[in-house]
Amino acid sequence: MSAPKSLRLISAFLLCVIFLLALGANFIAPYSYAKQFRDAPAAAPSAAHLFGTDALGRDEFSRLLYGTRVSLLLAPAAALLSTLIAGILGGLAGFLGGWWERAILASADLLMALPLLFVLLALRATLPLDVAPLISAMATFLILSLLGWPSSLRVIWAAARNIRESDFLLLARSSGSSPLRIIARQILPNLRPVLAAQFWVNIPVFILAEATLSMLGLGVMEPLPSWGNLLRGLENPSAFHANPWTIAPLILLILVVFCFQFILPSREDFA
Amino acid sequence: MTGSPILSDGGAVKRALRLFLCKAVWLVAVILVGGLFGATLVRYGPGYGVDERELDPRLSQASVEALRGQHHQNASLLSYYGHYLKSAVHGDFGTSESTQRPISELIHQRLPVTARAVLLGMLSAWSLALFLAMLGQFLRGWIFEVCSTLLTGFLLALPSTVIALLFVYFRAPVFLAVACVTFPKLFRFIHNLLVEAYEQPHVLAARARGIGPVRIFLRHVLAFAAPALFALVGVSLSLAFGAAIPIEALTDSPGIGQLAWFAAINRDLPLVVNLTLLVTLVTVAGNSLADYSGQLAARAS
Amino acid sequence: MLRKLRLLGVLTVFGAAAAASAQAQSGGVLHFCLHGEPKTFNPILVDDEAAENVRYLTGGVLIRLNRQSQALEPGLATSWHISKDGRMIAFQLRKGLRFSDGTPFTSEDVAYTIKSLMDPQLHSPTGDSFRSGEGAVEILTPTPDTVSITFPAPVAGLERLFDQVAMMSAHSPKKEMAVLGPFYISDYKAGSYVELARNPNYWKHDAQGRALPYLDGIHLDIQRNRDIELLRFERGELQLINRLDAESYKRLSKDSSGTPRNAGTGLDSDFLWFNQSPNAPIADPRKSWFRTTEFRRAVSSAINREDISRIVFDGHAKPAMGPISPANHFWFNSAIPAPKYDPQGALKLLAQAGFRFANDELRDKSGNRVEFTLVTNSGNAVREKMASMIQQDLSEIGIKVSIVTLDFPSLIERMTRTFDYDACLLGLVNTDLDPNGQMTVWLSSGENHQWNPGQKTPATAWEAELDKLMHEQATALADKDRKKAFDQAQQIIYEQQPYIYLVNRDVLTAFSPAVQGAAPTVLTPPAFWNADVLQLAASPQQGAHK
Repeated sequence: MSAPKSLRLISAFLLCVIFLLALGANFIAPYSYAKQFRDAPAAAPSAAHLFGTDALGRDEFSRLLYGTRVSLLLAPAAALLSTLIAGILGGLAGFLGGWWERAILASADLLMALPLLFVLLALRATLPLDVAPLISAMATFLILSLLGWPSSLRVIWAAARNIRESDFLLLARSSGSSPLRIIARQILPNLRPVLAAQFWVNIPVFILAEATLSMLGLGVMEPLPSWGNLLRGLENPSAFHANPWTIAPLILLILVVFCFQFILPSREDFA
Repeated sequence: MTGSPILSDGGAVKRALRLFLCKAVWLVAVILVGGLFGATLVRYGPGYGVDERELDPRLSQASVEALRGQHHQNASLLSYYGHYLKSAVHGDFGTSESTQRPISELIHQRLPVTARAVLLGMLSAWSLALFLAMLGQFLRGWIFEVCSTLLTGFLLALPSTVIALLFVYFRAPVFLAVACVTFPKLFRFIHNLLVEAYEQPHVLAARARGIGPVRIFLRHVLAFAAPALFALVGVSLSLAFGAAIPIEALTDSPGIGQLAWFAAINRDLPLVVNLTLLVTLVTVAGNSLADYSGQLAARAS
Repeated sequence: MLRKLRLLGVLTVFGAAAAASAQAQSGGVLHFCLHGEPKTFNPILVDDEAAENVRYLTGGVLIRLNRQSQALEPGLATSWHISKDGRMIAFQLRKGLRFSDGTPFTSEDVAYTIKSLMDPQLHSPTGDSFRSGEGAVEILTPTPDTVSITFPAPVAGLERLFDQVAMMSAHSPKKEMAVLGPFYISDYKAGSYVELARNPNYWKHDAQGRALPYLDGIHLDIQRNRDIELLRFERGELQLINRLDAESYKRLSKDSSGTPRNAGTGLDSDFLWFNQSPNAPIADPRKSWFRTTEFRRAVSSAINREDISRIVFDGHAKPAMGPISPANHFWFNSAIPAPKYDPQGALKLLAQAGFRFANDELRDKSGNRVEFTLVTNSGNAVREKMASMIQQDLSEIGIKVSIVTLDFPSLIERMTRTFDYDACLLGLVNTDLDPNGQMTVWLSSGENHQWNPGQKTPATAWEAELDKLMHEQATALADKDRKKAFDQAQQIIYEQQPYIYLVNRDVLTAFSPAVQGAAPTVLTPPAFWNADVLQLAASPQQGAHK
């Protein structure tokens, strides 16, 4: 399903605006994300606090800006790494075939079958305690990317296999090109569209994965905000009734993921 | 995995059977390795062998030491796993360390809950996805495109935890939450597949000859799309099962998902091994079905 | 004719009495939740909250602690006496009692229960509470309704411990499922519910002579998710919530679905401590900070407990200063001053210990920036909020605190095995009024002496003094001597701050308007401690939901 060009342009523009706002959080945010206004906990929106305050009196608007920065900057990095891993392994599996193919696909199946939440629990618990929250956030995304490549692998593998069975590759082989040259000159350039598609698909996947983890208490550590730990405010319907702006992170998350979907290349595969 | 030979004669049947057996053995090996992976993670991960009960101030020194000693019997992972497999062949899947109940009993009680959620979720998602995709082919307008994009985009953009929270708040059945997570991906794929099918030359020829839209759909479009749809069944099974796990944990539904979360939190080695085997089985079976159907489709085309 | 009228009159009177009695016994089925799966129904093996709740409702005990008055009352025993040396307790049992399956209750059953409980292989927390020394327990059953139990050494607070010991039948074919409490387990579906039915053989009657309990039964749903529990309560599917958090209390106060009740300050406490273990793999400057009394006292002074009570608990908590809550009437040491938020005082204490505060940073004598990591368990929103507030408070005196949340097993591993942490924020659920239940916390050799567990010899003079005082209170026979020793122990704990106590939470419960006889208390179980006298209103609008 391809979006009309105008819609893709609007989505790209919105993403850029949100991105820039997030980057400029240090200048735009009226307060630090950790500062507690203890005389105004769970306050409704006001002149002093545009989106109100959370249960500890922290300015929601500031936390939203800083949280957007964490989620929006780290997710593309994680998506890039995950796509690269899937690209290398999927390319090898599709190109080489045989036992390589079986072993790599089996590894992907195994990784997908592992209790992901437990793997994250265990890996997170092994991190040293005295790391900065930002470093632990980066570690969380790194772990997600190291565990998230199997979902892209099959798509890339299928594309690599099609390339392997194509005529131009047969020609290249019969003309005596070395495997390395074939990979560099024939396989990779033809895989680029698929890799690019998977990269764009994975960005919102990682944004959502971080949000899910943080809502389960396994994501970015306090007091550093992220969309996920901001969304934990939704667990308490009273807080939502008192301050409907609690839903702002969810709206922003949906908007950003929507935009990524609209700017996706057309005819993305089921992953 | 490589394709199967065309079944044209008795020799080919034997070859097909041999290949099927090889694949089955391979699948079993992958599943067993999956179980070993899960066991390794738990056994060597942080927090294994500790028991919350140690913090009970009423317990004497001897009792605390006895609690700590309970986990030393699992000291050698390979021998534990070997012993487990030997017992499993006889139907004894061990006892859960955290609940002290036979694991077969736990799975027997909880699997139907998850199976119900997954199967009903898949049925709902498939029904809606097929219906909307077919409707899209008959309506074919920008309004339908925008609406379906908005609906699927919105559902895709919602984290599964938020979906689970909404279902908790509205006390809606768990299978609908599973359907919400599965439907948008299914719809997109089916929609793309039907679009591709309608662009096939034989379909265009049928339309040019004036054959009615229903007949075209049933006779030509579905025939083309069927193998890929069968492949999709396998993958959507894995997807629905994977979605059910965190949803059950969050909605407190007494299924396998909640049990898996509980087992992970409590470092319950026997339970994690069994559940990992189960999840690996479903994932690998689903993906194998998808692969096999995909190969059939490739041969048919 | 007159005879017929008389007969009709008699029949009418009997019918009315039967109807009245039936109405009193038809108290409906009370619905509420257990927050976990009971691991066992064997009362002597119980060590989790869900199983303890079931044990409380089904178990008959010799002596019952009245949760409201905190006084001991006769239960299955009409009277008891303890020998002068504190080693022997003798009971006079009620006559003619039967278990729920009709099996008679005699002294043999008491002997069987105690023998099973004291089996050294059992490792039961209830059994361990009775262990006072090496040697076997001697049980004598001279008659079917008298029993005496002699322990190898004096047991502090002996009689109170019997509140936790539910009697089991030595002869019943139903084994531990035959009970003497107000209810018995009639059905159980793992992962779903436990169904309790009224015990027709329950021994207790009310003041009017009516047989208790009033309720026909109790349906306990197994529900871990508190949000779902609250939603179900608001929809009328549940009639009580045993433990409510402050957010839910606030929400229920606003709507009319039920009555939230604050029973007052509870026994539980939240606290943080610094790792003082010599085996801890933490950098040297930190080890020496954590072992400095002025440092700990300064941190304690710098924490604003009032803000924590107000913001995290919505006012439903009180600042705490010691191990005993004011709710524990007898053991609380009222001489200990109330905690005061005093960041300037904190800085003075730190200056005394050689720390310097400049440019919003605190540094030690060697110029190291004072910073540490505070760990707590993940998934606990209340503790995470407390940790965030502590982080901000300590930043005011220049201490940089990083918060790390870990899943519980990983946290316990760091606390008890690797000692790889700086400071920890946790809480203690106190089910026992008697401080003897905390021996392993205060003795330096104790495994629960969290800041430096399992010491071979006390590492500090004050810990040696604590050991001495705890032994004194454990061996003294008179309550006033025990209180004196433990008061001194509390004074040392206040001066040294090995645990920095933060708050004592209020006990919050909720009841549907349909529930009659509710009288929540601060002792466990707060909402249904008097389940045998609870009733549900008969009117359709307020009736129980199935």
